[in-house]
Amino acid sequence: MSARVVVCGLGQTLRGDDAVGLEVVRRWQARDRRVAAHPAVAVHLLELPGLALLDVLEGASAALLVDAVVSGAPPGTLHRLPAERLEAFVAGAASAHGWGVAETLRLARTLGRPLPPVVEVLALEAADLRLGASLSPAVAAALPAAVEAIAAWVRRHLPPEVADA
Amino acid sequence: MTERTIQVDALARVEGEGALYLKVKDGAVVDVRLEIYEPPRFFEGFLLGRRYEEVPDLTARICGICPVAYQMSSARALEKAFGVQVPPAVRDLRHLLYCAEWIESHVLHIYMLQAPDLTGHESALELAQDAPEIVQRGLHLKRIGNTLLALLGGRSVHPVNPTVGGFYRWPDVEAIRALVPELTWGLEASQETVRWAAGLDFPDLEVDYEFVALHHPQEYAILEGVVRSSVSGDLPEEQFEQGYREEHVPHSNALHNRTARGTTYMVGPLARFNLNFEQLHPVARAVAEEVGFRPPVRNPYKALLARAVEVVHAYAVALEIARTWQPEGPPRAEIHPRAGEGAAITEAPRGMLYHRYRVDDRGLVEDARIVPPTAQNLARMEDDLRMLAPVVLSLPHDEATLRCEHLVRAYDPCISCATHFLKMEVSEA
Repeated sequence: MSARVVVCGLGQTLRGDDAVGLEVVRRWQARDRRVAAHPAVAVHLLELPGLALLDVLEGASAALLVDAVVSGAPPGTLHRLPAERLEAFVAGAASAHGWGVAETLRLARTLGRPLPPVVEVLALEAADLRLGASLSPAVAAALPAAVEAIAAWVRRHLPPEVADA
Repeated sequence: MTERTIQVDALARVEGEGALYLKVKDGAVVDVRLEIYEPPRFFEGFLLGRRYEEVPDLTARICGICPVAYQMSSARALEKAFGVQVPPAVRDLRHLLYCAEWIESHVLHIYMLQAPDLTGHESALELAQDAPEIVQRGLHLKRIGNTLLALLGGRSVHPVNPTVGGFYRWPDVEAIRALVPELTWGLEASQETVRWAAGLDFPDLEVDYEFVALHHPQEYAILEGVVRSSVSGDLPEEQFEQGYREEHVPHSNALHNRTARGTTYMVGPLARFNLNFEQLHPVARAVAEEVGFRPPVRNPYKALLARAVEVVHAYAVALEIARTWQPEGPPRAEIHPRAGEGAAITEAPRGMLYHRYRVDDRGLVEDARIVPPTAQNLARMEDDLRMLAPVVLSLPHDEATLRCEHLVRAYDPCISCATHFLKMEVSEA
């Protein structure tokens, strides 16, 4: 069975809270090892994927993108939103290399490329994006809730026989 | 007295900041400052005391678009410090890996970053609405580069397989062969790209550049060569710092480079194309000739065409290596650390990338120097803007800004700066 459900951690390790998307997915992967390793599930840790995100999403039935955002909410706030609403977060979600998640998804739609029917974003409000910084305390404190949110999302989108395995 | 200022402030992005400031008084440019944030300075500091094996992986982090360049320059510099020669199978694989990076980086710049400037679109998204087949071709060309890079490097961004002396493990030969049909398609599509790009409407601007690039008599230099200048001739790579100096300028935290004679110079696709046309793969040279694109080319906007020709070259070379490459012996040369120093240059997609390291007898880094291509082009870009300013300042404000931004983008500085080159403020006294 090819992977139908995609979980994607996005961010940059070297940029403080920008690494939180990667860290949350890593933690979930370590905790729910069996589900994460199931052939129906694909887990990606992507630093600056840019347009390559399109290839990762191709053929999936549902995708969860886990990323850091800057929206003015208190640090550590968990945002859950459909990908279409990403535009509101472009400044935080855009990667360094011009093609942020929002732009990339919009390009895919413009070109009529098949996107998963469900693309959702789990975003954590970042506080400190300085080069070399570690996760700030408020963001680190939000990790367990974020891990739980991934687990719940995956359960919702997996075929029942896999989720119950 | 009229005074006019064009100021493009930094846009906060996750990585990379660019700013442009231009001041004209009574029709004469009195100040040009181009600032592009360059992280290498930072890295030179924290490489100190690190083991030599860590250097390629650490420096790869300087850029998400050209990590291979950082790995290749650093690996070669350290191999020279240790007196190590890599076997031919390693060299060929490096060449293939580097082609993958050129493809990815160049295709992104051609289709997604610079083309919209030439087709009159605000962004690649708009271009995609009008000409989806063009953008699809670009995406496909780029994806092949990604796939190849992931196959050889272990992953497509910040590859983990290259190391000092070679590779941690040989890639799967069958998987490389399996890419031949895609590479064959890419070779065709990249020639189509050149034909399409030749029809774009390039602004007129002729600049008498000093071009500087690696030169190799037998191949279009990517991995090694002498430093060739169109003005001052050849210099061995070890003597780069004698011929090309960094200067601190107060307005930028990137160093600006000039030749020892004090002149500015250009590195990158246009420099390579002008200096190494004869060494291009015959297929790339033929399509360049077909569209009437041959040296000398002194229009900075036409770097896009040089890039397009280089994509053909990269596909042609990649295809040849992918068809025939065989692993032979161990994937990396044995390293016995010893105290010493080594300097090496490779051709990153944006131009020469210089690395120099001094290591102690345990292989720990004692001194590091990294000169990225964008730093070398900065002073040259400022000179270009100085030339352009009197012309564009008579234009409406938005148009003037766009023309300045376009010129900067044509250099493909660091990619984050090249995409949305920011908003502008004008004050007129």
